Amino acid sequence: MKLKGMFLVGILLICAVFAATIELTVWTHEDPNRTLLEERYIEEFQKLYPEVSVKRVTYPSAKIKETVLTAFSAGKGPDIFNMEVQDEYPYIVNRRVAPVNPAALGYKNVEEIYAAYLEGTLDPVSYQGKLYGVPLEITNWCIFVNTRYTKALGLDFENNYPKTWEELMEVSDKLTLRNGEIITRRGFDFRYPYYLTIFTPMVEQMGGYLLNKEGTEAIINPQAWVEVLTFMKEWGPSGRNLGSPTYTAARKNWNKDDGSIVMIESGLYQILRLKAENPELYESKEWMVIPWPVFENAVNHVKGNYYGHYYVVNAQSSPEKQEWAWKLIAYMLKHTGEYFEEVGLIQPTYELMESEVFKNFPYANVFMEDMSQAGCVLLHQAGPRLEQLIREAVESVMLSGVTPENAVKTLKAKATEVLEDY
Amino acid sequence: MKSGIEKKKARWGWFFVLPAIIYFSIFSFFPIINAFRTSLYRWNLLSLNPPRFVWFENYIRLFQSEAFWNSVKATAIFTVGTFSSLLIGGLALSILIFSRKRFRTFFQMALYSPAVLSTVVAATIWLLILDPRGLGNSVLNAVLGTSGKDYQWFANPDMSRISTIIIYFWKYIGHFTILFIAGLSSIPYTIHEAAIIDGAGPWKKYWRITFPLLKPTVVLVCVLSLIQCMKSFSTQYLFVQSGAPRAPIDVLTLSIYDTAIRDHQIGRASAMSIILFLTLILFSWAQLRLSRSEEVSFQ
Repeated sequence: MKLKGMFLVGILLICAVFAATIELTVWTHEDPNRTLLEERYIEEFQKLYPEVSVKRVTYPSAKIKETVLTAFSAGKGPDIFNMEVQDEYPYIVNRRVAPVNPAALGYKNVEEIYAAYLEGTLDPVSYQGKLYGVPLEITNWCIFVNTRYTKALGLDFENNYPKTWEELMEVSDKLTLRNGEIITRRGFDFRYPYYLTIFTPMVEQMGGYLLNKEGTEAIINPQAWVEVLTFMKEWGPSGRNLGSPTYTAARKNWNKDDGSIVMIESGLYQILRLKAENPELYESKEWMVIPWPVFENAVNHVKGNYYGHYYVVNAQSSPEKQEWAWKLIAYMLKHTGEYFEEVGLIQPTYELMESEVFKNFPYANVFMEDMSQAGCVLLHQAGPRLEQLIREAVESVMLSGVTPENAVKTLKAKATEVLEDY
Repeated sequence: MKSGIEKKKARWGWFFVLPAIIYFSIFSFFPIINAFRTSLYRWNLLSLNPPRFVWFENYIRLFQSEAFWNSVKATAIFTVGTFSSLLIGGLALSILIFSRKRFRTFFQMALYSPAVLSTVVAATIWLLILDPRGLGNSVLNAVLGTSGKDYQWFANPDMSRISTIIIYFWKYIGHFTILFIAGLSSIPYTIHEAAIIDGAGPWKKYWRITFPLLKPTVVLVCVLSLIQCMKSFSTQYLFVQSGAPRAPIDVLTLSIYDTAIRDHQIGRASAMSIILFLTLILFSWAQLRLSRSEEVSFQ
């Protein structure tokens, strides 16, 4: 009898141990403000479901791409991860991430998920009729201005801010300070490596495109590319010397208000980062956000592309883990308002967009107005390679003295070669 | 026919080298063979479809690719620039330090210290120095008597090549100088004494005694520095991340990394790795072969 009892206890213990072995791994990019929130959500989730343990690991944005890729190629990818959607796209196409589980996410069906989010915002993770992720954040960039410097020059940005790239160039020229050829203060400078976010929309404004609709031909309307490259050449050291990819990334210094940069491109999240890093400037109100410019003779009034980070689930995780993974994602993302208020991340649900919190948030209307005229960043397996080629073209005209015409010819030839691989 | 003792010795020899054989088999030979096998496939890292065997298609595509030949050119320029400056600079500095009676250890330590830094840290320090508003421009402006000139350490294609060579030279010169000093120390002083008695001056002594007897060390330094230079990655990677134009410093290792990680084409990246590996083997073999023509003996 005693032996029987001990046997039963043993069985129960083994069951208890195995019952508590659902371990979820979440890999995400570094964001100190978001980490505080998500660690709290995970703690709460684990209390609600003691049989689940969650390990959240953060990586620098530049590093997470290669870490996730290496893990997936070795069959050891995390259960949940997020990256910029253009980097997630190959995982969707190659069936490495699982379609969403509406029930686990707390919806009746997929249609109800689409209905909860702003139209089009789930398109980047929709593929062949299935939905593969839900947005952690959707971001578009506007122009942040430190008005202390513009006011000092007598520029009244409140009533007359630069609306075109040409006007922005003129204003930047006035704001830029130099010691000989060396720039000590830039008026405005671009976020250079992100050419699919900033450069291709500039080309589209002039009527050019990176790919045709079928994705089979690259560099459509080369003349538009030449015009935008000419503008970049004029911007660079061999032109009016207003900035260059080789200077410290403008966004890194803007919050510091160290006198090295007046205007930058950034997302809404920059406001809360400014508040955290430089409360003095934030409280001073000597900053503002203005819309992303268009060219004077633009044929398309598009704004800078938006991109997003979507939470996705590893298709190779067990069905049980996948279900728990979607439950965890649902638990975290139900705090849409807090993500917005604490971290400045826009999860494009109708609930958030219609909330007073969102409507009253500084400059949210500027971002939303631009977002309504923005397209999504290119989603194509060759996207990163094409972005690299655009980078080479821009740098070659800005830094190496190549003519825009020749740069476009080279770009077209190389992009065509790249497309042959897909 | 081998005697029993010799056989026994040979068995023990195998026993002692066995750990090294196992180690190199797992961590060197297997990855090399595996890389060669992979290079014969069209293989997308993310695809769940089985890789497609394409024979030498990856190699053919590479040889037809403009980007690949640009990488070969960038690697060659970097290797020649760094290798020759390390060799000449290392030799000159070692003779200078070896001739000093005082502070010899201090100079060796000072020169060697950058080598203990990781390449990433070293490149980050230099990125700050070479920033348009950094020390690089200030010093050059002061030395050359110019004012506010931007020497475009990253921006200008030639300058970005020179900058990567400077960083590598700074980091590894101490290492190779110490190897040369070890070589110089191994030359018996009696030979120098004999030369002095026979009336040889310092110049003649160097060219007729020191340099010929230093040949094994020169070969060692040549092989090591050549391998080191051709494998260079972190400096160029950080330069590109910091906005430097890619083409002039797109060395083979950087191209391999991007082909695998950015483009997910592990087959083509493996083909590039095999080409780099064979080139290294070829150069090392040629150097060792050339050095064998005049074996050095202190007898």
